[in-house]
Amino acid sequence: MSIQFQNVSKAFVQNGQGAARIIQALNPLSMEIRDGEFFSIIGPSGCGKSTLLNLLAGLETSDSGNVTVDNVPVEGPSPNRAVVFQEAGLMPWMTVSRNVEYGLKLQGLSRDERVHRAEKYLKMVHLSKYANAMPHQLSGGMKQRVSIARALALEPKVLLMDEPFSALDAQTRDVLHDEVQRIWQETNTTIVFVTHNIREAVYLSDRVMIMTAPPGSIKRIVPVPFAHPRAKSSSDLSYFTAQLHNQIKEEVDKVAARELDADWKQDAEGLAVAAEGTDYASGI
Amino acid sequence: MNQTFKIILVKVGFGCVLLALWQAVASARFMPAHLFPGPGDVLKSLMDIARDGTLWTSIRLSMGRMLVGYSISLLGGVAVGVLAARSWLFKETVGSLIMALQSIPSICWLPFALIWIGIDQRAVLAVVILGALFSIAIATESAIRNIPPIYQKVGRVLGARGFVFSRDILFFAALPELIGGLKIGWTFAWRSLMAAELLRADQMGVARIIETGRSYNEIAMMMAGMIVILAVGLTVDLVVFGTLERRIRRRWGLEK
Ligand SMILES: Nc1ncnc2c1ncn2[C@@H]1O[C@H](COP(=O)(O)OP(=O)(O)OP(=O)(O)O)[C@@H](O)[C@H]1O
Ligand SMILES: [Mg+2]
Repeated sequence: MSIQFQNVSKAFVQNGQGAARIIQALNPLSMEIRDGEFFSIIGPSGCGKSTLLNLLAGLETSDSGNVTVDNVPVEGPSPNRAVVFQEAGLMPWMTVSRNVEYGLKLQGLSRDERVHRAEKYLKMVHLSKYANAMPHQLSGGMKQRVSIARALALEPKVLLMDEPFSALDAQTRDVLHDEVQRIWQETNTTIVFVTHNIREAVYLSDRVMIMTAPPGSIKRIVPVPFAHPRAKSSSDLSYFTAQLHNQIKEEVDKVAARELDADWKQDAEGLAVAAEGTDYASGI
Repeated sequence: MNQTFKIILVKVGFGCVLLALWQAVASARFMPAHLFPGPGDVLKSLMDIARDGTLWTSIRLSMGRMLVGYSISLLGGVAVGVLAARSWLFKETVGSLIMALQSIPSICWLPFALIWIGIDQRAVLAVVILGALFSIAIATESAIRNIPPIYQKVGRVLGARGFVFSRDILFFAALPELIGGLKIGWTFAWRSLMAAELLRADQMGVARIIETGRSYNEIAMMMAGMIVILAVGLTVDLVVFGTLERRIRRRWGLEK
């Protein structure tokens, strides 16, 4: 399933106090994600990574250009494109197994098929024993694994993951990295993976896309030149990570500078007002 | 000592103190005994109406009205609430109207109902329905609005939309908060029914026990009526809604 973005842009209207502001989340961008690829997206906060993923998921519609999957334009969500969010978002009133089955039920699979598939994918994330547990009985990492199983059970062509591990501790994350990688190799799914963790992106991906400071556009798309499976502790990987780190830091620094600048301007205005107030003193 | 046990002990103790105080005031004879009877007299009166069947008929009739009236409010209120949560146009128009109407105690509609609908059961029923409908609609709307947005996203990517989405996801995600609103709706309906029964001399009902007592100048019977209203209201509140609420909260993992 190759994915194409052609001149895709997106702006949001934000209704704050007073006038509505228009926020350009994505400047027009074009790119292609190859069939079966593990493709990561990194960039400073607010640069439009989630927006890009939501456009692909069909949760948002673009202002210009189009997003196509195998030359078919994306129009709304589809079970071919499953999504794992940062929050597991399990439905607390359903058992773990029912959570995994729900999407299949909507697709009209028979009860037997549903149960069978739920078993298969819960086994894949090592949670068979918890099939009949309620979500609140699971730890954060276990919940996220269920949400991965729920996405995989749809047997999607594309798996979209938006910072799926960022709320987890380092050990759990390590385990899930290997699970996702194994599943990716077993299922041939195309994976689009948004993260803030450069190491994670380098460890898992075929290519990493670095985005610019907002409004987001593509800064570079970097192939990771190491064969899978990779060793997490490899020094090649560390060196590569450090290099990418510098490129991203440039963008993050831009964001930080802008924010500092805004603060600085406010401070300066404050000073100007204060200076006016004390004007009489300078006259003496 | 176990905490729940301690709480029960304190409540029972407080109840005994209240009874003793009541008895003391009655025995002090500030007023003639027939104007301010003690707990013994009221209990006797309660037993009298239980024996001659008045009590059971009254409860049966009142609960019947509640069940019919409340069911209608429930269906209507939830439907209006869902519409208000899903369409801003509906919320700003009908929703605002409901907010405004809610400030009118539903008993004020009784005179209109009597003229428009007629002097039978249905006028009382209308008051009960109006008593609960608006508050259930408002509670439903707010419960749906407070659903964490993640369920919306998850539901959509799993392929739920339209009615299926409302039935499978919105409803359940809103349920823990919704149940609180349904309980308040029941309380409003109960109050409205009592007010309506008090004003309608032609029909039996729990509140009529008070009026009957007044017509015989039997204060003990009037007090017995108050106790019946309290007991029925509290039972439904604790047993029906309390159990439901606890079950839901436990299943959702909101409490152990
Ligand atoms: N539904 C929305 N309504 C209004 N503005 C939005 C909405 N979604 C995103 N935005 C804005 O669009 C911009 C990009 O947001 P987005 O969530 O895509 O960033 P991100 O790269 O995922 O950031 P993070 O790394 O913090 O998750 C931000 O300025 C954000 O405020
Ligand atoms: Mg994001």
